[in-house]
Amino acid sequence: MDKLIDDEMLVAQFQAGRQNAFDELMKRYKSKIFSYLLRSVRNYEDAEDITIEVFFKAYRALEGWQPKAKFSTWLYKIASNLAIDYHRAKARHPVYALEDTEIPEARLVATDLHSDPEKQLEEKERGLLIREAVDQLSPKQKAVFMLSRYEGLQLKEVAETLDMAEGTVKIHLHRAVKRLQTLLRPLWENNEI
Amino acid sequence: MPKCKKSEGQAIDYASKLLPSAEEEPFEEHLKHCQDCSEAVASYTAVLDLTDKAQDELTVPEVALKNIEMNVYKRLAVTQEQTLLSRIRAYFVSSGSPFGWYKTAAVSSVAIALITTVVLIGKPFQSEETFRLTESQSADARIEEYRQQGIQRNLEEVLITHHLRNDAWETESQLHRMKEQAHGTNWTKVADKHLQSLQSGDSTAQ
Ligand SMILES: [Zn+2]
Repeated sequence: MDKLIDDEMLVAQFQAGRQNAFDELMKRYKSKIFSYLLRSVRNYEDAEDITIEVFFKAYRALEGWQPKAKFSTWLYKIASNLAIDYHRAKARHPVYALEDTEIPEARLVATDLHSDPEKQLEEKERGLLIREAVDQLSPKQKAVFMLSRYEGLQLKEVAETLDMAEGTVKIHLHRAVKRLQTLLRPLWENNEI
Repeated sequence: MPKCKKSEGQAIDYASKLLPSAEEEPFEEHLKHCQDCSEAVASYTAVLDLTDKAQDELTVPEVALKNIEMNVYKRLAVTQEQTLLSRIRAYFVSSGSPFGWYKTAAVSSVAIALITTVVLIGKPFQSEETFRLTESQSADARIEEYRQQGIQRNLEEVLITHHLRNDAWETESQLHRMKEQAHGTNWTKVADKHLQSLQSGDSTAQ
């Protein structure tokens, strides 16, 4: 189907009973939502489960959805809320967190078969260190940073997604980048990354 | 050298490419003369480059995305929303996996049984086995499938409407319309069968 049909039009079609419109919406967003959640929860299986949950919730709420914001913003809002729930649940059940000391996302990182394996390992390690630094941001800093930098949302859309004022988004974003600088600087000064 | 009075936020915004366009040029002009800000911009740019690279490594493999739709519909099916049936089936047809079963007249009775089950009982599938009745589909069968998918959906709607409203005359004309649309496919036989049972007064169309 052509991209000329915008998301909101598809929603309207879905609401009018056109059954395939939701398939098209899933097709458009499953990869984005999945990778957003993967970056957020950094666990492949959980990211998949939450992605399914996002579309499940969207489907059930779409009937009464009013186009006050963009459909994509609304979808990211569902995903962000679920990711926050996930992090809360994980914090509440540290035993669960201990179970996956091995971080499954590391296995997901694409490997280039043509490059030197040792260098490859180094690269993987490097990426992991940096992502662990990103994990140390507060949930709000992390969400703002991810949505604006990797999901291509404008600050206004990030504000809508996370129910914040635009100014607050900026503040979180600045703190996120500064914090990353503080965390990463020693690593690159020691040539670790 | 005293610290520059400009806000660090501007350096971050500039490195993040989020500085409002009106502020861009004056800030670039400022950078030419201010070492503090130039260093800050360089440092933040390095931070962002590193995180970008680390995040880019996290790609979702295509294979992981394949089952998302199916699992969403399964999840929805668990909540027993009857109206989902046709959506689930339409999805399977359009995704090119199962449901080759309507291809021959012999198995189209399976379709009727299935639809009748939905209409009467509301529990479409006994098990997932029903989904796996099929052979895999070749790419050029796809277009025809889309057409048949539409016909199939119409038939389901006709039967559900008939069940709800029990208007034989309306159902009959809908079936005729569906039959026209289904010209050249086995669905015409399915429509005929329903028309026959309708005329013989058997509302279950079995
Ligand atoms: Zn300066």
